[in-house]
Amino acid sequence: MLRILHDTKYDFIKYWKAAAFGTIAFIALGMAILGVHAMRHTSALNYSVEFTGGTVVQLTFTQPPGADAVRSGVDAAGFAGAEVAQFGDPLNYMIKLRASEGVAAAANADSLGANLAHLIEQRLGGTNKVTVGQAASVSASVGSELKGKAITAVLISFVVTLIYLAIRFEWRFGVAATIATMHDIATTMAFLAMMRLEISLTVVAAILTVIGYSLNDTIIIFDRVRENLRKQRKESLRDVLNRSINETLPRSVLTHATVLAATLALLVFAGEVIRPFSWIMAFGVFTGTFSSIYVAGAILLWIEHKWPRTAESENKGTARALAEGRRRERPTPAATR
Amino acid sequence: MPLKYRVLTIVALCLLSIWALFPRNITTREIGSDRLMHDVTVRHIPLRQGLDLKGGTYLALEVDDSKQAVPADKKADAIERALKSVRTRIEGFGVSESVVQKQGNDRIVVQIPGIQDPQRARKLVEEQAFLEFKIADKTQALERALPRIDQVIKQRGLTPAGDTSTKTAATATKGLQGLLNTDTTKKSDSTKKGAAGAKKDSATAKKDSAAAADSLKLQPGGAFSSLLEQGGMAGEFYVDQTKIPTLERYLADSAVRAAMPPGKDFLAGSDSASLQGKWYRTYYVVDSKSISTGEHLTDARPNQNTLDGTVVEFSMDNIGGRRFRSETGKHIGDYMAIILDNRVMGRPPVIQGAIGTRGQITMGGRSLADAQDLALVLRAGALPVPLRVAEVHSIGPSLGQDSIDKGLRAAIISVALVVVIMLVYYRFSGLLAVGGLVMYMLYTLAALAGFDAVLTLPGIAGFVLSIGMAVDANVLIFERIREELARGKTVRTSIDEGFRHAMPAIVDSNVSTILTAAVLYQYGTGPVKGFAVTLIAGIAASLVTSIFVVRTFYLLWLNRSRGAQTLSI
Repeated sequence: MLRILHDTKYDFIKYWKAAAFGTIAFIALGMAILGVHAMRHTSALNYSVEFTGGTVVQLTFTQPPGADAVRSGVDAAGFAGAEVAQFGDPLNYMIKLRASEGVAAAANADSLGANLAHLIEQRLGGTNKVTVGQAASVSASVGSELKGKAITAVLISFVVTLIYLAIRFEWRFGVAATIATMHDIATTMAFLAMMRLEISLTVVAAILTVIGYSLNDTIIIFDRVRENLRKQRKESLRDVLNRSINETLPRSVLTHATVLAATLALLVFAGEVIRPFSWIMAFGVFTGTFSSIYVAGAILLWIEHKWPRTAESENKGTARALAEGRRRERPTPAATR
Repeated sequence: MPLKYRVLTIVALCLLSIWALFPRNITTREIGSDRLMHDVTVRHIPLRQGLDLKGGTYLALEVDDSKQAVPADKKADAIERALKSVRTRIEGFGVSESVVQKQGNDRIVVQIPGIQDPQRARKLVEEQAFLEFKIADKTQALERALPRIDQVIKQRGLTPAGDTSTKTAATATKGLQGLLNTDTTKKSDSTKKGAAGAKKDSATAKKDSAAAADSLKLQPGGAFSSLLEQGGMAGEFYVDQTKIPTLERYLADSAVRAAMPPGKDFLAGSDSASLQGKWYRTYYVVDSKSISTGEHLTDARPNQNTLDGTVVEFSMDNIGGRRFRSETGKHIGDYMAIILDNRVMGRPPVIQGAIGTRGQITMGGRSLADAQDLALVLRAGALPVPLRVAEVHSIGPSLGQDSIDKGLRAAIISVALVVVIMLVYYRFSGLLAVGGLVMYMLYTLAALAGFDAVLTLPGIAGFVLSIGMAVDANVLIFERIREELARGKTVRTSIDEGFRHAMPAIVDSNVSTILTAAVLYQYGTGPVKGFAVTLIAGIAASLVTSIFVVRTFYLLWLNRSRGAQTLSI
């Protein structure tokens, strides 16, 4: 039997201060970079055209044209403010025009793409064939509406998971898991800022998947905690937590390995369109693992410290509720003290 | 459940999945190269591909508020009716597997897969066939606004500096300046005549015209006014064909639009005229408020008559006819512009008397075929509201194929990696999990086909990712079995206990993921919705395979090797 990390007794919780410092430093660094972006660009986050409104055209060349040639072609077409970036390999270029850069109507993506392709092809001498891979135009109103929807989606997923965990576990667990989830969003945002990844709808989907995945991981550990508490040992929550993390360690390593393998396959082989998604997922595996132990676990301990379960409430409420895995009356701080 | 039924259930599920995924004939109606309809039968796996994989055009249409043709409370109803017209039109033009649906309360989404010419597709739905009847302006509103507009254009620096077109514009200006001057004098004359008792008024009017003349002198023939020549009737202008792009560029500027006379529209006509060897396009100034719209149109037929050439005759229902009669009754002697999609059709006729339910659109010198097309579009869907394109995505077919290839490659590699990890770590049990993984993929794809879900690129990514996540339940169970074995329990008991103890964690973690995916499905659009569907189908399939299928595999193995003392895990 091949075993890794079997029957370990690491004191994970001991390092919570270092962990907290590390993650706060990471988030702060990300926010600082966001601030720099906000000063250098129009907005702190690099939103895709789906959110800002505007036009994006992807051109495919038969020979590598060089970024300067593409840019001068775009300038000549009258879009001096456009963003020109290589897209994956040197044969593909992405040209992005924000709504503010003279793209009045949303309707002109195709004709704009065709014009650009034609113009650049002419300037390159005609031997380098240019085709429009994709073109999209979004009006600014649609974009801002979408932004609202994305934020609503994240908030609703918070509420839903909070309620579910409160029902299945206990309010302490729900709060701890939700705070861990918020932490994951913060670190993912910091990661986004550091990588200057474009926030598209697919990226929002990736962030929500990271939330789901991290929550999944937290629940696996909390499930162990719930079970170990049920055994009614004379153990502090800190020890129970440590033991639960150690007991679930082999599972964590295995599952993270398989998910990471799938994510890396996406990152390397699935192409440029899906790359931002893959990056976030890859990062999510790490932040999800981290937050399950050091955010969800630590917060759970802190709540326990603030509003400790008394023997009475434990007998009447928690223990039974935990044993049955059902909802119980939320103990008021006064009653539990 | 007895073992026999477990195996039967799995076999049935597999057969059902294979049936759901079996390639079948799909017949669609398409327009061939000869522009005739053909039934095309293709044999393929019944998994619908999204536009980002298949290539095609996606359009989101919304009500054009700038025209204020519909009060806000009637918008939802109008969109509902516009939906029917757009659908009829898309279907009528014979694009296979197209989708036309309402999104939210105020948007129509059109998806046309595999179309080679996205511009044609857009024209198809953009052709609103929005019919309006407006009164041509006779107050010389535009003439009065011209100095202001010229000023604005100069300030905004819109005049193309130093290129040849300015020179020609400058030479063409001279004749026009005279025309404008006569206009202003004419105006002050009429003010004099009209305002007998109000000398002050006429004085200011004079001053105004003098000021206008001054500004004209300062900037001989402003950029805008130099483009226009007075037409044959009030509110009609001719514009040199070659200058139209310049004019349209001015009109696109927001400051210029703001300087245009309020309550009036400046619209291009459908007619061109040849004067002294030059081609001119007609433009009209009309009241912004329409006296009637095509909302009440009941029929439209092409016709030809000697007087007007090609025409489309239309009739309206009683409500529309009554309104039309009373409105035209108020405007006897005025010119009525018939406007189709912001273009004045033919020359506005004089309203001789109140018009009822019948009328005609003059098509100028165009062919009967054009009239037939117009009549079809009007009949099939004179849109009750003007629509504008809010969003358009077009994906080339090669890009879509590229995405499929890459996605498939990533999926195969991800499966290979997961299989290796499971086999190396769990040996025989890992093999069972891999068997479960194969079933998992089969069930997931079958579920997608069964629910007629659309496979998008993010959907493929979600599927690849779910392969990595699907073994999580297996891992949880296997680790539990290991723990039970370590406590010295028998193989059979360990397996039972392992499954039982892993259950709450599996259920809780998967339900929370399903909840997140459901939120995504509710609030996502297009590709993201595809991602959410794949995720949900994946989780459901993973629960079935890890809890039920792999368990059955174990039971089968236990049956075959009765009294096995060791388990390779």
